Amino acid sequence: METPRTGTSFKPEEAYAAAAERFFELMKTFGMAGGTSTDWKALAAPLATQFERWLQMSQAMTPWFSAATPGPFGSASFGAPAAAAFGPLAFGPAAVSSAPPARTLELLGQLVRLQGELARHWSEIAGTAAQRFVARLGAAPAAPATPQQALQLYEIWVNCAEEAYAATVHREDFSRLQAELANTSAALLAEQRQQAESLVRALGLPTRSEVDGLNAQVKDLRRELAGLMQSRGATAASGGAAPGSAGAQRGAKPKRAPQVRPRAGRRARGPKR
Amino acid sequence: MRASGAGAGAALADITVQVSETLALIAAARDVTVGCSLKEPVWHCGKTTLYRYLPLTAATRARPVLICFALVNRPYVLDLQPERSLVRRLLEAGLEVYLIDWGEPDDADRHVDLEEYIEQHLGGSVRCIRSRHRGERLELLGVCQGGVLGLCYTALHPDAVADLITLTTPVDFQTPENLLSKWVRGLDTALLERCGNVPGELLNGLFLALMPLRLTQQKYVRLLANRPDQRAVEDFVRMEKWIFDSPPQSAAALAQFVRWFYQENRLMRDTLCIGGRRVSLSDIRQPLLNLYALEDHIVPASASAVLGERIGSRDYTGCGIATGHIGMYVSRAAGAEVPRRIISWLAERS
Repeated sequence: METPRTGTSFKPEEAYAAAAERFFELMKTFGMAGGTSTDWKALAAPLATQFERWLQMSQAMTPWFSAATPGPFGSASFGAPAAAAFGPLAFGPAAVSSAPPARTLELLGQLVRLQGELARHWSEIAGTAAQRFVARLGAAPAAPATPQQALQLYEIWVNCAEEAYAATVHREDFSRLQAELANTSAALLAEQRQQAESLVRALGLPTRSEVDGLNAQVKDLRRELAGLMQSRGATAASGGAAPGSAGAQRGAKPKRAPQVRPRAGRRARGPKR
Repeated sequence: MRASGAGAGAALADITVQVSETLALIAAARDVTVGCSLKEPVWHCGKTTLYRYLPLTAATRARPVLICFALVNRPYVLDLQPERSLVRRLLEAGLEVYLIDWGEPDDADRHVDLEEYIEQHLGGSVRCIRSRHRGERLELLGVCQGGVLGLCYTALHPDAVADLITLTTPVDFQTPENLLSKWVRGLDTALLERCGNVPGELLNGLFLALMPLRLTQQKYVRLLANRPDQRAVEDFVRMEKWIFDSPPQSAAALAQFVRWFYQENRLMRDTLCIGGRRVSLSDIRQPLLNLYALEDHIVPASASAVLGERIGSRDYTGCGIATGHIGMYVSRAAGAEVPRRIISWLAERS
């Protein structure tokens, strides 16, 4: 039996309870709480508001856009110790400025602007979904009086909402916005990491760039070794290896000539901001 | 219009009871196990493990089957539970089944690229299996993104693969209904790569955002509507476990996959190179069975069905099955049809 490596995101009871809660909210809006009149046309506005709020909440939980805050991307707040106004010459961690660099502020501003654009899309989707729902119900007789009727109404609502969602999210402007949001979030994360590297370097600890550089060197050496061994006929043509053996761990890349890749390793030795 | 007050109130109360009963069943099913067939590790490369499933019956076919699953999900969905297991159906048919589990890439794997996955991890698995079976060529079964890797490998190493089966495998990444493709087309992949490995939660969030109400809300309400018993809830929770059990993605491999396939559509344009070697679908001359889902929101049928027009093989069987992407692996209907088609197709080519 497998042991799933589900992280914190796997909480089936919570997900189910949250979906049930929203279902109840919807049913109450449909007048199911009892005794309330159900004017379907008047429902469009509250339905749209509920859906828009849900879309915004769901988006806020999506890690694509959460680089600015601690999230699954691993971006934490990298607040460096503040340099004293008076005191000895800044050295070590104190040498790192605590003020967010201009680029970070620029990216944060960009992110806020893009999220504003996204909010307008959510609003449009929610409004369209509610209108579709009202139109589809037409002259439906009454609010649901049985669980079956409630579920049927729910299915209609989901269909309308998904149709409205699809109509917007397939559009080029929405797709471009999605990409811009992801790119800005990634740029912000990269910026934060760069700041973190400055701090780590000031503390005399190895940085990610340096570790990447070493990793790249090891890989290049392994590749070179494999190439040399192959050229000497030392490796078997069929490359199977027992678990844990050196061959199994290394593998071979027979098709590429040995080379030194100048990526992270070189960058690590380059000038740092 | 007016709700019949007492009726509506009673209905709401009834639903409330159902919700709490189902919630209790879900809580009881939280630790349900997944994966039902016994298997043994036979080879490792980096985080990748090649497993061999223990046979359930005498072998009926000399050639072993290698299942190459996607990098973005866990392969145990193919062996979720005895009655929902493609692996088990293949074993029952007397096939020797191997499976690649790509494992859990960490920061040390952030530079593992597609060439390494295809040539070393997949290629190493193929070489290991062939050495265990007297050099016999194998049947390669690629699933989803794993099917893309399988196509690349087969084009590069035609002598190693006897027959190729692709399941929900995209080939044309830019068909009009492919929402995922539209969303990632403007991604800065160099920047993405710089950010390091991509957490599984992020990709999962992206997949769920394709149809958010259906995939994060409606399924729970439908579960409620069906008045499930404990067993049905356990089945449901197994699927939930799998859906939320997404491994992180190597930064380099994911960036390449997005750039080369989604953004540049290289398979279709015949411009793909892996490790300096051209990968051309027209070099695939093996018999090929392509099974795709007709209601797939991740790999639209049109993205997959085009494969038959692109390969060099004259022995091509394409078949659309009326289900969704995940339904291809676990739905009752597809759960019977998919293995049946694979087994009979292979039998015809013995």
